[in-house]
Amino acid sequence: MEPIIRTEDLKKIYRIGKVDVPALRGVNLIVDEGEFLAVVGPSGCGKSTLLHILGGLTGPSSGRVLVDGNDFRAMSDADRTRFRRHKIGFVFQRFNLLPTLTARDNIALAQSIQGNGFNPRRFEQVAEMLGIAQKLNHRPYALSGGEQQRVAIARAVICEPKILLADEPTGNLDTENSQMVLSMLRTLNRSFRQTILMITHNPEAAAVADRTIRMRDGRVVSA
Amino acid sequence: MILVNVLHRPIRTVVSILAVAIEVVMVLIVVGLTTGLINDAARRTEGIGGDVMVQPSGASFMFSLSSAPVPIKVGDRLAEIPHVLAVTPVLFQSDLSTHGLGVIFGIDIPSWNRVSGGFVYLSGGPFQGPMDVLVDDWYAKANHVKVGSTLSLLSQTFHVSGIVEHGKGSRLFIPLATAQELSSSHDKASIFFVKCTDPGYTDDVEAAIQHLLPGWEIHNMGQFMSMMTSNNLPAVDTFINAMIGLAVSIGFLVIFLSMYTTITERTREIGILKSLGASKGYILSIILKEASLLAVIGIAAGYIGTALVRKVLIESFPTLYVESMTSGWAAKAAILALMGALIGAFYPALRAARLDPVDALAYE
Repeated sequence: MEPIIRTEDLKKIYRIGKVDVPALRGVNLIVDEGEFLAVVGPSGCGKSTLLHILGGLTGPSSGRVLVDGNDFRAMSDADRTRFRRHKIGFVFQRFNLLPTLTARDNIALAQSIQGNGFNPRRFEQVAEMLGIAQKLNHRPYALSGGEQQRVAIARAVICEPKILLADEPTGNLDTENSQMVLSMLRTLNRSFRQTILMITHNPEAAAVADRTIRMRDGRVVSA
Repeated sequence: MILVNVLHRPIRTVVSILAVAIEVVMVLIVVGLTTGLINDAARRTEGIGGDVMVQPSGASFMFSLSSAPVPIKVGDRLAEIPHVLAVTPVLFQSDLSTHGLGVIFGIDIPSWNRVSGGFVYLSGGPFQGPMDVLVDDWYAKANHVKVGSTLSLLSQTFHVSGIVEHGKGSRLFIPLATAQELSSSHDKASIFFVKCTDPGYTDDVEAAIQHLLPGWEIHNMGQFMSMMTSNNLPAVDTFINAMIGLAVSIGFLVIFLSMYTTITERTREIGILKSLGASKGYILSIILKEASLLAVIGIAAGYIGTALVRKVLIESFPTLYVESMTSGWAAKAAILALMGALIGAFYPALRAARLDPVDALAYE
């Protein structure tokens, strides 16, 4: 079966002033559908850049990226945006909820952007599963970190993306909330075969995943 | 989300709405004032009751821009034309220091009465002496003038002999002989108002006058009224357009600044929207919709503001005639304000749409 993510000699070079700064120096990666993969490594090793490329937020400098059969190198920025809208869900370390909207509106926003309209059944299912049904009318500032991250996960999965990309999802949480968030990611993966690629510094978090890869200096050093 | 964003930044919202409202008020009041002044002058001229106006060659239908007067004997020749009931000469006197752009009418009361049907005296009566003046009720109210008051006009002191109902020519009337004396225009007049025995003879009388006085400015009242528009008045349209341009610039600049700073504040939010798959068009549209919402509220506030400013102007300056807001100009002002807001918001919106999602998400 074709892997849902495949990268071949993936490179990304940022130009800062007149200096080329390589962030990825040839990453080869395969992720199967339904897999829960943890990516670990020190700061600056290219984990977030890899996540951004796989989510179509930025393009690679060279190499091949195939996500769900789509070759990102052949896709325009608009195509990648459309792909992201339908196939990718992001969860960030800083939750990244819109502060002016309630939890409900933050989640519904993803459905609105996707353009398929509000699906109340799916909405209720996700809210129940993530334990935020009682908090839907609260704004982010009235929620704890754990609750905010659960709202962010709900927003990421509400449109049933093929891949969930989580960038240090427990980085801003205490142990109890970290466990709760990891447990939910695990449930999503096991119950719905949700493909998850999670960046983390936390070995306990990485242990929740099916497989862990380690990155250093823009390369995958152990898989 | 658009409404929430508008409510979330109340100061920015109020300033933007205020700017659009001021823009709308400026457009509508400037138009109301200029058309009001023109229409008021036209109505007062029509109110004299003459069917044909006769002016020397080169004279303007704007009385304050009138040319050199002509011999008053012309009036006798006009009176001999068939179907002419009465002719009254008027000598215009301008006194910018006390009367603005208005014109003081030097009139001959007997012939004036034959053409106009006479004044309606609200108090006092006709001239009793050469230095008497008649004022209309609007002028009297605005300047707190009563019968017996003295007025300094044309560097002379005049006594108010009567207050007349407004709507006939000028707001100030002095004896024709006095006007001639003060301007060294003995036996001369600026214009002749001709009354026909029947309005149906107007064209015949006009044709006869044209035959008698070739090259003179001869207009029947219908022609005169149609000429009294801003298009026919020198620089009025330019003035209106300049004021509209200024007003639109205010709205444009405030909305531009408001949306630009908003976009900078919301860089991270835009990054979040992009991470959710929001296209450039989606981001462009939410910014433009937000600007449109501000503009629509501002336009509504502008309509209310216009009505209030008009009321204050009319109460403060009773001689000022400010036309009420017409649906045509209300629509034009709304379109101008909306366009100004959209153009003002377009660059910030485009900038937001073009933000790199990774940079935007990293924005502190």
